[in-house]
Amino acid sequence: MERHLTAPGVRIRGLTVVYNTPSGELPAVSGVDLTLAPGTITGVVGESGSGKSTLALSMLNAVQPPGRISAGSVEIDGLGDVVRLRGEELRRTRGRKVGYVFQAAQNSLNPLKTIGAQLLDLGRSHDVGDLRALVRDARELLGRMGMDGARVLDSRQHELSGGMRQRVGIMFALVLDARVVVLDEPTTALDMITQATILRIIREVHDERALTTLVITHDVGAVAEVADDLAVMYGGRVVEHGPVAEVLGAPEHPYTRGLIRAIPRLSGDLGLARALPGRPPTLGTLPAAGCVFRERCESSLDLCRTAEPVPAARAGRTVACHLPGPHAVPVKRKEYA
Amino acid sequence: MITGTAITKTFRQRGGVLGHREVPALRGVDFAIERGGAVCFIGESGCGKTTLGRIIAGLETCDSGEIVIDGTPMSGLSPRRRRPYFRRVQMIHQDPYSALNPTRTIHQTLRAPLALRARQTGRPKPWIDARAEELLALVGIDPGYVLPRYPHQLSGGMRQRVVIARALTMDPEALVADEAVSMIDVSLRLGILALLRRLREQLGVGVLFITHDIATARYIGDESELYVLYRGQVVEHGPTETVINEPVHPYTQSLLSATPVLHGLERPGPDRIVPTEALDERHGDAGCLFARRCPLATERCERDRPVLGHDPAYPTTQRHACFHPRRRQVIPLAAGA
Repeated sequence: MERHLTAPGVRIRGLTVVYNTPSGELPAVSGVDLTLAPGTITGVVGESGSGKSTLALSMLNAVQPPGRISAGSVEIDGLGDVVRLRGEELRRTRGRKVGYVFQAAQNSLNPLKTIGAQLLDLGRSHDVGDLRALVRDARELLGRMGMDGARVLDSRQHELSGGMRQRVGIMFALVLDARVVVLDEPTTALDMITQATILRIIREVHDERALTTLVITHDVGAVAEVADDLAVMYGGRVVEHGPVAEVLGAPEHPYTRGLIRAIPRLSGDLGLARALPGRPPTLGTLPAAGCVFRERCESSLDLCRTAEPVPAARAGRTVACHLPGPHAVPVKRKEYA
Repeated sequence: MITGTAITKTFRQRGGVLGHREVPALRGVDFAIERGGAVCFIGESGCGKTTLGRIIAGLETCDSGEIVIDGTPMSGLSPRRRRPYFRRVQMIHQDPYSALNPTRTIHQTLRAPLALRARQTGRPKPWIDARAEELLALVGIDPGYVLPRYPHQLSGGMRQRVVIARALTMDPEALVADEAVSMIDVSLRLGILALLRRLREQLGVGVLFITHDIATARYIGDESELYVLYRGQVVEHGPTETVINEPVHPYTQSLLSATPVLHGLERPGPDRIVPTEALDERHGDAGCLFARRCPLATERCERDRPVLGHDPAYPTTQRHACFHPRRRQVIPLAAGA
C-alpha cells in the first residue's frame, strides 16, 4: 500500500469550458468540482454531449479552439494548476506527467511508421536521454499486457487487432512514467472478451504503477467493472459522484436512476428496463436557467425550472438535485440461482 | 419465411510466396427466420456474423448451401431475378452517421425509394409523402421536425430511426440489423430495440439481429432464437433466454462471463469462466475450433470436431457443439441475494 503514497491527487475546481458558436460562447462544462483521490480509478459516464470528453481534455489543458477553459483550475499534486501551464512547460507535462489514451486509440497511431519508430519519436520529443531504456520499458509494458513486445514494436498499426492497438495506446500513455492517466472510451468498438481483458489490464497496471486514473465512457457497464468512484455527467455538470457500488446500488439523482434502468443487462426484469426518454442535450438546447435535466426528469418540481440545484455532499456522495434520495430503483432484481 | 441451409463461404487472401491463404468465414450454417420472428447471431469480430448478414441480404453470395425466401430457392435464379426477393430483406447498418446521404434532407432520402415503390405498386403520387410521414411516425419520430432536416441536424438515435424507416419503404419481409445499436448512446439503445420488437409485432417483420453484445439480444422480444457463432461454426443454439440463463458451451459461457458486472446492483455469477483472449487468430483448423482457448479442452478436442446437435441431457430446443457440455451459472446475480 506504500506505493499509493506516490500516486498524485487531482482537484478540479469550478472548471468551465466554453465553445465559441454562432450564437455566442456556450458552456460544454459548467463549474465542475471533482476530486480524484490518489491511487483511485474514477469513471466519468454520460451521454454524447454531456461534456465528458471536454472534461478529459481539460486535464491536459488541451481543449482546442473554438473551445477554451474560461474559468477554474485543475490542480495535480507535484504539478500545480495545469490550466495555468503554457508553452514548453505544458508540452512536457503532456505524456510525462499526464498520460492520455485517446478515444479510438485504434485510429490514433501513425499508419506509416512502426510502433517502435513512433516510440522513438515520443522519446526524442521529450528529450529522453536513454532511448534504449525507453524501448526496454515499452517492451516490458507490452509484455505485461500479454503481448510479444519486440514483435509489436516492429509492427505497423494495420498488423495489429483492435485490442492490441488499445494496449499500444496504453503503453504510449505510461511509458514516460506518467502518474495521472486519462482514458477516453477505452473499450468502445471492442468485443466483449477483448473488453474484459482490457479492463483487467487497466486495473492491474493502475495498481502496479500507483496511478490516479480517469476513465471516460458512455457505457456504465465498462466502468462499473473497473472504477472505484463514479461521476455521472449531464449537460456539462457532474450531477452525482460517489463510490461506484453505492452509486449503482442506490442512485440518488433521477438521471443516474434513468441511466441505470436503460442498460441492456443479462439479468433483471425486461419489463422494467427502458430507454431514457427524450434526447441528450446539445450546447444549443441546454436550458439557460434551472436544472439542466428537468425536461427529461420523472420527478421535476416547479423549483427545478428556476433554480439550478447546487451539488451537495453527504456521506461520501455528491448529488446535484432538488429532490435527491434513495427512491426505489425500478430495476427489479431477479434471482436465477 | 427465410431459411438458410448449410451456408458456407471462404475468403481468399492474397498471400506471400505460398500463394493464397483460405479463410473460412462460414462453415455450414443453418437458420430459419419466421414471419415476425427474431434470430440473433452472437460472436466476436471475425466470427462470420457480418458475412452471414450480407448473404441473407443478397449483398454477397455463398459458396455452397441454399437461401430460400418465401419458398423460392435463390440458387436457381439469375442475379437479376433474385433481386425482387432480396429487396424484401433490408439491411440496417451499424453506423447511422454514414448510412444516410449528408447532402439530402430526410424527405429526399425517403422519397426516392418510395417513388420506386409507388411505381411498382401503381399508387398515386400523393401516397409518397403520406407514406413518408406514416413511416416516420411508426419509428417514433415527429415527421414535421425530421423531414426538412439533414442528417447532421439529428442525434444518433434519430438517425438510426430514419435508417429503419428507409428500410421499411420496401415493405420488407425481414430486417438484417448488423450491430444496429452499438454506435447509439447506451441510454437510447433500449429505445431502438423496443422499436424492432414493435415492428415484429405490428408489421410481422422478421429480424435478424447481429451483435457482439449478448445482453442486447434479450431485448429483441419473445420467442427469439440465439445462435452463437465461433469462427464460422454455430457452437450453440436455442431460445434466447435459455441460452443466456443456462448455457452449456464454454464459448457461450466465456462471452457471458465477459459481460461487465454492475457492482452494487449485481454480483458475478459463481461459475464465471475467465475468458482467454485470442491473440493469434491463425489457430489451426484441426479438432474443435475453440479448443485452443478453451479451459476444458482435452486430447479429443484437439483431434475431433464436435458437430452441432441435440443432447439428451438438455432441452430439445437447445443444441450445442461440445464434447464437454456443462451448465454453468455465469451471468450476474442480484447484489445481496
